[in-house]
Amino acid sequence: MTKKLNLTPYLFLAPALLVIGVFILYPIFAVVYYSFTDFNIVTPPVWTGLKNYTQLFQDDVFWLALRNSFIYLLVTPILIILCILLAIAVNRKLPGINAFRAIYYVPVISGSIAVGYAWRMLFDTNGLINGVLLSTGLLQEPIQWLAEPALTLPLAMSLTIWLGLGFYMMIFLAGLQNIPEELYDAALIDGCNAFQKHWNVSLPGLRPQIVFVAVISSLAAIEVFNEIYTLTGGLGGILNSGVTMVFYLWKQAFRLQHAGYASALAIVLLVITLLFSVFNIRSLERGSEQD
Amino acid sequence: MNRKLQFRVSFSALAMLLVAAIFLAACGAPAAPPPQAQVIKETVVVPQTVVAQQTVVAEKTVVVPQTVVAQQTVVVEPTAAPNPEAVIPNVEPNAEVTLWTFWLSPTFDDYIKSTIARFQKAYPGVKVNWEDHQATFQDDLKNAFAAGKAPDVINLSVSEGWVSDYATKGLLLPLDDKVSQDVKDLYFPGLWNEQLVDGKNYQFPWYQGLSVELVNMKIYSDTAGLKLEDFPKTVDGLPALCKTIKEKTGTLCDIRLTTNDLLSQMVYEGGVKVISEDGKTFTFDSPEGVAWLQMYVDMVKAGTVDKSVLVTDQDRVGLDLFSSGNAAFYQTGPNLIREVRANNPGLYGYLAAVPAPVGKSGVLGKGLMSLSVKNDTKFPNASLALAQFFTNPQSMLEFSKQVAIYPSTPKSYEDPFFAAKPIAIEDSAKPIAKDIISKYADIVPTIPHKADVNDIVLQAVQAALFNNVPAQQALTDAVTKANALLAQ
Repeated sequence: MTKKLNLTPYLFLAPALLVIGVFILYPIFAVVYYSFTDFNIVTPPVWTGLKNYTQLFQDDVFWLALRNSFIYLLVTPILIILCILLAIAVNRKLPGINAFRAIYYVPVISGSIAVGYAWRMLFDTNGLINGVLLSTGLLQEPIQWLAEPALTLPLAMSLTIWLGLGFYMMIFLAGLQNIPEELYDAALIDGCNAFQKHWNVSLPGLRPQIVFVAVISSLAAIEVFNEIYTLTGGLGGILNSGVTMVFYLWKQAFRLQHAGYASALAIVLLVITLLFSVFNIRSLERGSEQD
Repeated sequence: MNRKLQFRVSFSALAMLLVAAIFLAACGAPAAPPPQAQVIKETVVVPQTVVAQQTVVAEKTVVVPQTVVAQQTVVVEPTAAPNPEAVIPNVEPNAEVTLWTFWLSPTFDDYIKSTIARFQKAYPGVKVNWEDHQATFQDDLKNAFAAGKAPDVINLSVSEGWVSDYATKGLLLPLDDKVSQDVKDLYFPGLWNEQLVDGKNYQFPWYQGLSVELVNMKIYSDTAGLKLEDFPKTVDGLPALCKTIKEKTGTLCDIRLTTNDLLSQMVYEGGVKVISEDGKTFTFDSPEGVAWLQMYVDMVKAGTVDKSVLVTDQDRVGLDLFSSGNAAFYQTGPNLIREVRANNPGLYGYLAAVPAPVGKSGVLGKGLMSLSVKNDTKFPNASLALAQFFTNPQSMLEFSKQVAIYPSTPKSYEDPFFAAKPIAIEDSAKPIAKDIISKYADIVPTIPHKADVNDIVLQAVQAALFNNVPAQQALTDAVTKANALLAQ
């Protein structure tokens, strides 16, 4: 007896499959193909085999970009610490506290490009930061912040932290409000001071949120682009000081028109991100099991 | 109906009417002189494009009294002359062409639309679809080429090297054998011969810019005590000027390297020969190249230039610094004075303009904007006609009246507009513009892997400026890397 093929489920799935196929699967397969070609976007690609990959591992800027991307991951622990402190600070029943929470959230809803340009104006040679430092006598000569290679990454990282502060704070705030008040009462009865109370109660209680923030903020950090682009005016900083993996990928594809080489970079980035995601998800699962 | 058929029908109609007229005349009074010869003369000289009008006129002749036919037929309406701006022949009937401009909308919408309307009068039946692209112009264009949807007529920057970039990839139509010598002669020869690829031209020179030094007299004269007439005439006078300004006013010089095309800057400013005659070896680590780079290294070490402006690839960064009133001078085009006026009206009253200093090459500059036609356009003649029309003397003159740009066509400068004494600072270069533009020339040779080599040079220049690498070593390392690219 033959089973009759029921097409109805496939018809329901078709729109989603079509979208996934066109906008996710096709681009991924196309990038894999282009990574084995010499492709300048405007003329048809020419098959070059593994040339892009061999060139990539001999490319000093690629290793610099990889190093910078990993340095950029420092934003994750800084964000976690700052956001937890901020969440604890705003997790009080004080008059006007909702206004503070909203103010901290404003950078999240501001466009990162617009914020980047605002940041750039702040740190301009004739910008507000130098103005304040000069007028208070802390500086005799203005600092050319944006032209100092050593400052490119720290400035971009501080921008990323500022942009993400409100969002991650909200996640920790929600986590804090889920911790039963009795646990804090018990800690007080046990003689804990304010620091010990949060160390022994708040932090363990926020474990799921910490893992979640660590996963998403580290993935965002490794794929950073907007902050670098706006702060360095599209050049990646003096002496490539701000070049990260995604920025280098963009530069190769759209500035130098080496889309084939950029595709090889994208594949390497994909593998790194995948490994990172697997590691993070394993950590998340391990954390859940322990809980 | 095509023109040939139109002509035949019209000619037949005229011939029949002529026969009828002769017949009627023969039937009339014999005293009347045979006037038909005049009618024939008129018919013969009718150009094909206006035959229909002649037909209509000729039809009128049949309603006049027979005896005075001859006198009536000589009042044939004057034949409309061909539009003098329609200089490209064989434009495809009912062609539809797309034009992409770079950052001209919305400021110049009226100008562009009115020029398209004039074009359609000169070339009836051609439809023009105009799009203006701005910050994403290059990305949009590359994507359009990749998708096979590139516009027929494209506004490309000569100064940024876009024409040669696309022409080298075989994407643009070579113009030399597509347009007549009369059309070529409309343009300054130096501009027509810019961005040649293998000796062929791929662009109609469009609007040009003049580099002037905008001077903030409040800093330059009032505070630093300098005289405008002493502004350096050559680039090598800038370090001393910056030193003086820094010492007397504490402000830094607002000077920008052309970070996306340093090779060109080396050629114009430093008189550097960047590549060997046979194109097989880079040579920009020569003493001239080192001297050029050392000049900037010395200025950075002396702390007299704004470093973030020096290595930015965005003209706006330097312009903004000048507009904020924090720089003594800035090199830009007079067309951007309107930006200064809009952003800082208080500074406008302190502005002065002097000619930009000349580099060791002695060449005053190169072209700014052009219009090119894509190689595989369906309507090559209509596209050529549109590109040529926008760059013709009349269109250029009209554009010059809108903003401080300068025509690529000598004839435009014959208009009294250019002879008028300048009043606003934006117009200060008008009387000398023709002389300067006529001397523009592209002296940069064709450079293989240009974008990559420029990136290598940029890294070398930054290493010398900010990482204490000696100029000679930085450039020699860059030459080695660039030569390795040539060997690939």
